[in-house]
Amino acid sequence: MSILKETTEVLGHLLEAMPSDSLFAIREEAASFLREKGIPSKRHEDWKYTNIKRLFDNGLASSSSAETLVPRPSSLVPSPAVQLTNSSVSKNFPTLDGVTFSLFSDAGELNRFIGKSGIHGKQELAALNTVLFTDVLIIQVKKNAQLAQSLLIDHSVSATGSELFNSRILIVLEDGAKLNCVHHFHGTAISDSSLVNHVTEAFIGANASLELNFLQEIGTGNLVNTTEVNVERDGRFTTNTVQLSGKLIRNNTNVRITGQNAEAHLNGFYMIDGNDLYDNHTLVDHLVPNCQSNEVYKGLLSGKATGVFNGKVHVHRDAQKTNAYQQNKNILLSDTATMNSKPELEIYADDVKCSHGSTTGQLDEDAVFYLRSRGLSHKGAIALLLTAFASDVLVQVSDEGLRAVLEEKIQSRLSGME
Amino acid sequence: MLRIENLHARVEEKEILKGFNLTVNAGEVHAIMGPNGAGKSTLASVLAGNSNFEVTAGSVSLDGVDLLDMAPEERAREGVFLAFQYPVEIPGVSNTNFLRAALGEVRKHRGLPELDAKAFLAYIKEKKEMVELTADLAGRAVNEGFSGGEKKRNEIFQMAMLDPKLAILDETDSGLDIDALRIVANGVNKLRSKDKAFIVITHYQRLLDYIVPDFVHVLYNGRIVKSGTKELALELEEKGYDWIKAELEETAA
Repeated sequence: MSILKETTEVLGHLLEAMPSDSLFAIREEAASFLREKGIPSKRHEDWKYTNIKRLFDNGLASSSSAETLVPRPSSLVPSPAVQLTNSSVSKNFPTLDGVTFSLFSDAGELNRFIGKSGIHGKQELAALNTVLFTDVLIIQVKKNAQLAQSLLIDHSVSATGSELFNSRILIVLEDGAKLNCVHHFHGTAISDSSLVNHVTEAFIGANASLELNFLQEIGTGNLVNTTEVNVERDGRFTTNTVQLSGKLIRNNTNVRITGQNAEAHLNGFYMIDGNDLYDNHTLVDHLVPNCQSNEVYKGLLSGKATGVFNGKVHVHRDAQKTNAYQQNKNILLSDTATMNSKPELEIYADDVKCSHGSTTGQLDEDAVFYLRSRGLSHKGAIALLLTAFASDVLVQVSDEGLRAVLEEKIQSRLSGME
Repeated sequence: MLRIENLHARVEEKEILKGFNLTVNAGEVHAIMGPNGAGKSTLASVLAGNSNFEVTAGSVSLDGVDLLDMAPEERAREGVFLAFQYPVEIPGVSNTNFLRAALGEVRKHRGLPELDAKAFLAYIKEKKEMVELTADLAGRAVNEGFSGGEKKRNEIFQMAMLDPKLAILDETDSGLDIDALRIVANGVNKLRSKDKAFIVITHYQRLLDYIVPDFVHVLYNGRIVKSGTKELALELEEKGYDWIKAELEETAA
């Protein structure tokens, strides 16, 4: 059965089973958007290099098999942690001051935030997620509660066939709240015809601050990870994505800056080899004046890897005094790797500072020779240069313990890349 | 210490060194002068192991061991140091990490224990004072944002850190004002000893007022065409290179 038929059927089933599903209207909107647009093919401008349709054509079917699986804990240590296995959330929540964890199925009042960003009417995979998700992990941080520790969202993936998992998280930060998350997607021997279709919706209140770190190491699995964030006045959003393994990974990061003096920092570091493809699409919407956004995406590509960076900054007419800066730098370690980099600035205000830069090149041989002439081995010189290359992304990770773990993982990934 | 015999080297298809001979003993300072394009920097690059330069004939040995057979890092660990004409900027690589890695490799090769953090910092401080390096290196990337003079002084500082037995200074004096030149020369003079040798490649006699060489060689068209003592440098300063070219043509004719 095709996934579109399935969505229709799921809707019918939902209507029958729980006509009072508070999200029915939103799910219906999502389904009708999806019926109109279909699963995007490579003819779709936003999916030009990333063939997601192939997975669907090969019979991807939604699955809830996770319930029977034993989760494999993440190798990251920061406690406390919330455990997700595929799309299923373990109810074993940590106790943290000022933080409440709940599920969509608890039918709490925060359910009204689900779909509020409207993402299900803008992006096909998010629409699909909206129709098919069975539950949502909801994290709320109360007014002025500032979490000192990082929260680990341990996303363990396990798939043996053409399974589609629609996991979803909602984060609501009340005014003045602060949360730092590490979202770790991991798993071993994941079927290369499966797909994790994850959506995070986040609402950042006035003067609140959210840092979402993504560590993606899913071996042979596929992942579409959509993050839709709304930032209010004086709010701050930071995301740092480190992509280390996966067959196909697509990150859609969309930030709407709706209050003045707010900031968004989007950073990513990717290491791609083999025939793998990682794609980072970002959209920063500056709707109001006096805000700033910064983007730094950097990557190493080797083998026959393909990388995609598409960063769009949209400065609306009222968003005067916007500072928007975007940078994408790539190093190709082989002749057969490909990088597709496309910065897009759309500016409708006349008093702004916006810039973007994109470079793709080889490792600087002069620098390698210089380091070797001081006694470093060829391998040591390359490792030092590549570590340096990653450093301006890693420095954005505020949790020092996490940063050290990421540095270590990058180092060990490096030694396997040549 | 260093024995170069009939060295031929080319870059891409262009032959630059055409039968270069030189013997350098421990404790000696050799100056190599010559007009642009004579092959001075090629010599420095070949000795350091830059793979852009291909050796087509001849031999180079360091204390009896074939130098050309060694990778650049092996030469460095054996005690060969090149002060680059154009030191490379390496964004993102901190000086401290770089120096620790380099010193660690060199010391390991010499059978010396790794310095702990405190001893390492003290060692840096000592060497900085030795070469009068006032620039704050901590927290800065290798050569990034350094002025021309700072880069050259940083080369001399690295030389002091790594304590080589053979140092090759490739036009380290070019572009330096007289104060910077004096500081660079003082650094070299402090490192001079009976166990160490220097090859000082320069355009200008001026440097040799500060670093007094034991021998001066004129490199022209890929070979040494004249050797002498420091007086030769003065003569070159005064008369330029044309008289040497004229002499050569006369011999050829």
